[in-house]
Amino acid sequence: MNFWNNIFKPDKKPTKGEALFFKIFELFIIVFVLKYAWQWGPYIQQVGEVVLPLGIAQYIDVSFMFEHNISLINAFLISLFAVLGFFRILPKYSYLLSLVLFHLHYVSRFSLGEISHGSNFIGMSLLALGLGLFFFGKHPVQYRRFTMGVIFFFFGLGYTSAAVSKLIGTGLTWPAGEHLWLWIAERSVDVASATGQFSPNIIQEWIMEYRFLGTLSLVFGLLAEFFGFLFWFEKTRPYIATALIMMHFGVYLTMSIMFDVYIYELLIIGYPWANLFDRYLNFENNPILSKIYQWSIQIS
Amino acid sequence: MERQNSLKKSIKVTLATLVIYGILVATHLGEFWPFSIYPMFSQAGNPWKRAIVQDISQAEIDSLWKVTDKSGLPGKTIALNELNVNTNDIANYLSKTEIWTPKKQSGVRKLLQKKLNQSNLLVYQAKGSLSENDEPKVEFIPYLYLSADTTLLNKNLRIK
Repeated sequence: MNFWNNIFKPDKKPTKGEALFFKIFELFIIVFVLKYAWQWGPYIQQVGEVVLPLGIAQYIDVSFMFEHNISLINAFLISLFAVLGFFRILPKYSYLLSLVLFHLHYVSRFSLGEISHGSNFIGMSLLALGLGLFFFGKHPVQYRRFTMGVIFFFFGLGYTSAAVSKLIGTGLTWPAGEHLWLWIAERSVDVASATGQFSPNIIQEWIMEYRFLGTLSLVFGLLAEFFGFLFWFEKTRPYIATALIMMHFGVYLTMSIMFDVYIYELLIIGYPWANLFDRYLNFENNPILSKIYQWSIQIS
Repeated sequence: MERQNSLKKSIKVTLATLVIYGILVATHLGEFWPFSIYPMFSQAGNPWKRAIVQDISQAEIDSLWKVTDKSGLPGKTIALNELNVNTNDIANYLSKTEIWTPKKQSGVRKLLQKKLNQSNLLVYQAKGSLSENDEPKVEFIPYLYLSADTTLLNKNLRIK
């Protein structure tokens, strides 16, 4: 029970900083839901054939999404339900409806064979927001605690699961430097294909020259992921968030893959912003801040 | 008391979500968005397959279907970002298509449509692996030749 107390913090005193932080976090998720909806909507119209059916596409033919701007209509509906959820209109179902349509959007966008993980955390966060409103919608404090607890739990699990997948998929030799050489070669083709050219950066040149640098880099990445479960504990959360952000920057520098949404979300949920808001923001005397807070409470 | 009930309910909903998560990823090869076991880069050192598209309109080539290394690629590499096409999609399309039906061929044409009116394209599959002395090596295999009105396939591909 102590473990779950630590995740959901039911006994912690609610504060204004917590309420404001949560609404900012919620806004961040909705902005990215809209971004993906409208980024993928037009792209799906370019798709001509389902090569790899993912998720619900294994049971229904999603090729109807490829024509007649259906995917744009879906993008509109995803956005509509996400915004309704944010403003607590149809609160019990809006986020969950948005999530179901978002799933359909994802399996249509990635029906050409790629399995992308870039949007998974945004999807998991929308799920947490949706479940929270469904089960705790009438109690804003419980809603916030539940949503953040679910996010901490599944983020930690996700990163640790990624490390375990590597250890099962390859074994203890996963961090060998030559493996990074092969991935850099792979990315050199990808970057050339995407932009028309590829020139290695200085980090990639060093790694290609000194194998041990590649090994060190991979060891750090594997350890950071493995200890992802430290996200479950308030005291260790900022440290593991920092390690994971460094890992994501490492992936960018060595393999030119930017998981930017993951970095933003880690920056938001990994640090005690609510405590800092309470300590340094004067909610009573600052009229703008006071109005923002009051408004966020009205739709919490 | 209310806090304890809320905590119990939170635990139940989280564990129920975890069970559904587990069932869905276990029955869908590790992926049921947004649920995943995050297996990216888990197969270290394994050979990989990617794709690159060359504009060969101005290129002089002695044989269309010659396997080459990067320095031997004819013409100019097309920047797929400029066509709003993700390179992963072309790569996976080539590697996951086993039989090149007319519909599969038109799927590639649809992705590259914006370029086909003004250019002749050669779509390559890039295959990478580690050599015996652990050096990465990459070879480029021509898959499809595409022009405004023509689609030619490498004769080694299966066609239906």
